[in-house]
Amino acid sequence: MMPSRRRVIAALFAPGLLVIAALPGFAIDVVHLQLGTLEGVGWSAHAVSVQLNWLDERHAGLVLQAQRLALPEGLGELSAVTLLCARAQLTATEVSCAQGTLMAQSSVLGAQNIRTTFRYQFDTGRIDTELLGVRMYDGTLSIKASLSDTHWQVVVRGAELSLPAVTRQLAATGFAIPVVEGSGHLNVTANMSGVASQLGKADVEMQLLAEELSDAAGSIAGENLDVSLHAAVTVAAAGTQVVLDMTGRQGALYVDPVFIEMPAQALRLSASFDWLPTAELVLQSFVYRHPGSVQLEGSGHFKLAADTPLRELQLEIRQAEFPAFYGTYLQPWLYDSVLADLDTAGQLRGSLHWEQGKLSQVSLDPVSLSVDDRLGRFELESMNGRLRWSSTTMPVRSELAWASGSVFRVELGAACLAIDAGRDYVRLVQPVAVPVLDGALGIDVFQLEFSEDTGMRWQVNGLLEPVSLSQLSLALGWPEMGGKLSGVIPDVRYDNGNLEVGGILRMQVFDGEVTLSNLTLEQPFGLVPRLQVDARADNIDLEKLTRTFSFGRIEGRLDGRVDGLDMESWRPVAFDAEFATPENDNSRHRISQKAVDNISSIGGAGVGGALSRSFLRVFEDFPYDRLGIRCRLENGICDMGGVAPATDGYYLVKGRFIPPRLDVIGYADRVNWDTLIAQIMAVTGQQDRPVE
Amino acid sequence: MKMLRIPVAMTLLLIVAACVTINVYFPSEAAAQAADRIIQDVYGERPGETAAPVEPQSRLPDGGVTSATHALLDWFISPAHAEADISVNTPAIRQLQASMEKRHQQLAPYYKSGAVGMTRDGEITLRDQKLVPMQERNAVKGLVSKENADRSALYKEIARANGHPEWEADIRSTFATRWVSNAPAGWWYQNKQGAWEQK
Repeated sequence: MMPSRRRVIAALFAPGLLVIAALPGFAIDVVHLQLGTLEGVGWSAHAVSVQLNWLDERHAGLVLQAQRLALPEGLGELSAVTLLCARAQLTATEVSCAQGTLMAQSSVLGAQNIRTTFRYQFDTGRIDTELLGVRMYDGTLSIKASLSDTHWQVVVRGAELSLPAVTRQLAATGFAIPVVEGSGHLNVTANMSGVASQLGKADVEMQLLAEELSDAAGSIAGENLDVSLHAAVTVAAAGTQVVLDMTGRQGALYVDPVFIEMPAQALRLSASFDWLPTAELVLQSFVYRHPGSVQLEGSGHFKLAADTPLRELQLEIRQAEFPAFYGTYLQPWLYDSVLADLDTAGQLRGSLHWEQGKLSQVSLDPVSLSVDDRLGRFELESMNGRLRWSSTTMPVRSELAWASGSVFRVELGAACLAIDAGRDYVRLVQPVAVPVLDGALGIDVFQLEFSEDTGMRWQVNGLLEPVSLSQLSLALGWPEMGGKLSGVIPDVRYDNGNLEVGGILRMQVFDGEVTLSNLTLEQPFGLVPRLQVDARADNIDLEKLTRTFSFGRIEGRLDGRVDGLDMESWRPVAFDAEFATPENDNSRHRISQKAVDNISSIGGAGVGGALSRSFLRVFEDFPYDRLGIRCRLENGICDMGGVAPATDGYYLVKGRFIPPRLDVIGYADRVNWDTLIAQIMAVTGQQDRPVE
Repeated sequence: MKMLRIPVAMTLLLIVAACVTINVYFPSEAAAQAADRIIQDVYGERPGETAAPVEPQSRLPDGGVTSATHALLDWFISPAHAEADISVNTPAIRQLQASMEKRHQQLAPYYKSGAVGMTRDGEITLRDQKLVPMQERNAVKGLVSKENADRSALYKEIARANGHPEWEADIRSTFATRWVSNAPAGWWYQNKQGAWEQK
């Protein structure tokens, strides 16, 4: 062969591309070259051969083959590589092919049959090529590339790529992305350019369409999704800068535990961050817009290799709209708390700041925010103010006001609190009076502490200014009672779910006084609230009491005590109670026929039974000496007693000696409590209704 | 010899007396029956419809008495450890049961689909959330969490109502078995090793 006539200058391999440059000649029609092994940075081709069939002075048929082509890491290898060009054009300056075919078996992408064009300029070394119909991820890819000694540019267009296949492949190559199953597709256009083997810039447009997709655990899932993403990447020695813009137009997305339905105005996430060579992520800024629900903004700094990757994060809640924000972003985290089931309204603004992996500052401003527990336990309407917390030892001032509210359906009025908060405590700055029905709860001291070891505990000292019992009983669904409830609350402590009331609660009721002491309440908002209390009643006006409970009129006074009252779910399970006419009581003692009948009917033939009443029916009421009842409840059984022992029983009502004398004597020692209550309810016309 | 007999007799008496106190043990059969009553009410079945018969269970009392000695003493003092009945009739237990009965209507489809399964510690868990439509997942998580809170409270209340708070763990394990025994075929449960099986 004569080198002067045919100068095979170069055989150049780039991934998926080979160019043969030659000067034209006629003496030999067929040139066959065995090039053996060719190697470059990151790639190697084995058993390479080139064949040229000269067609005319400027054109030749080109066949280039390689048995094996190893590609840079992650791209696998190609075997049985054949590049065909039926009519390649060869001039003094370039070789080009307008219609070629590349066939290969890829270890990653399977068998490929790709249409290709290429052009190689000898003087500049520039290569332009286009690969069409690359089959990849169940879809097709087209690649347009221009490579020169100094620069390269590649445009990749992918259509209908299978999202499950893409995620599988990327995860297998070592990308930290979840592998999804289902029916998602991706359309991608990526425009990349760079110098030598280095990526300089990339501009990626991506559209994700998915009818249904989910990862293996079901913690990420989507339905009817239409999400588009635009990313602009700039690579520099100092780091890689990424500007990202994501828009969710349609469908629903579940990212455990948050479920988002794409709003009509589209969900948007924009972010700009730098990825530094030190494995640090500097989040310059991000904006998350969920129209009708929330707008978040922020910035941050993460060191991914460190023990606490979160170095700093600033999160601004520009505007959170309730109830949408609560339903989508808060409720999923609260399902086992007392805030699990709320009706909400209003707005919230604020910011949160994390440092070294820990929350360091909170600033929340509720704007006409209302919360209403669907189980009716509490409610606060139209909260406004500024709530501040800081992890520093310096206390910060917060203020919170509300227009109205309720606790267990007992109405609270408007109030404004000023609070100082430190790292692990909250304390009331100045005394406050919270209106309760027609009275008020004056709080002198409120102190709350929380720590990871002991949980939350708080303490209140206050004063209950007279609240009318008629309103309170109505609110609680009890029979309407007259009188007032008031008392000093010297020391209410809440610790580990239990509420303990020190001091004495005093009720002015039915012209007498009822005092409550040793009150403890376990799990007041829990499943089984448990109340323990000792009660005393002094000088109760029976006429007022019996009128309230429509029991039949009794005149006189009553003293009593209930020791060790133990209530579960607001129903008594144990107590030792005794009520009786006070000793030396000189008020008028009369009991009506109706009351006698009622006492008699309680407990059927057992508890009460009027003695020889037939002739006494003519009297409307009777004088009595003393009356009283005793009950010690245990295990559902009431151990009964009266005001004095009688033959075979006990006196419930002991008559006077002056006729008409009437005694009511009880005989049953032990009475089933539920039956007793049912009978009392029947007599007084009340529904047996526990407070919930 | 006589001198010896008295200490021997005293020792025997001591063992017997000691054993009487030891023998206040967990009434497993009564507990299983009580559990069945509650569970069948929660599941909303008529008693005996699907429940497998309660296998009698017995336990050795703690206290280092060997089983042979125990068997002997058992014969001597059998009345001392006739199993106590388990009472489940307190307001708290009734309230918890009512709350679980109400919730069961909502949970039943998820038991059936296999999304929710019964754990070996007498609770339930969302074992495969993919079987739950996305928008229902948080609601189901809420149901599961509330159900478990009710169940834990129930076990504690039963132990407490019967005057033996230390029985809580025994009651829980009794219930764990009975929830599965009373469940219809097709529901998923965790076996003793923690693996999931379908009934």
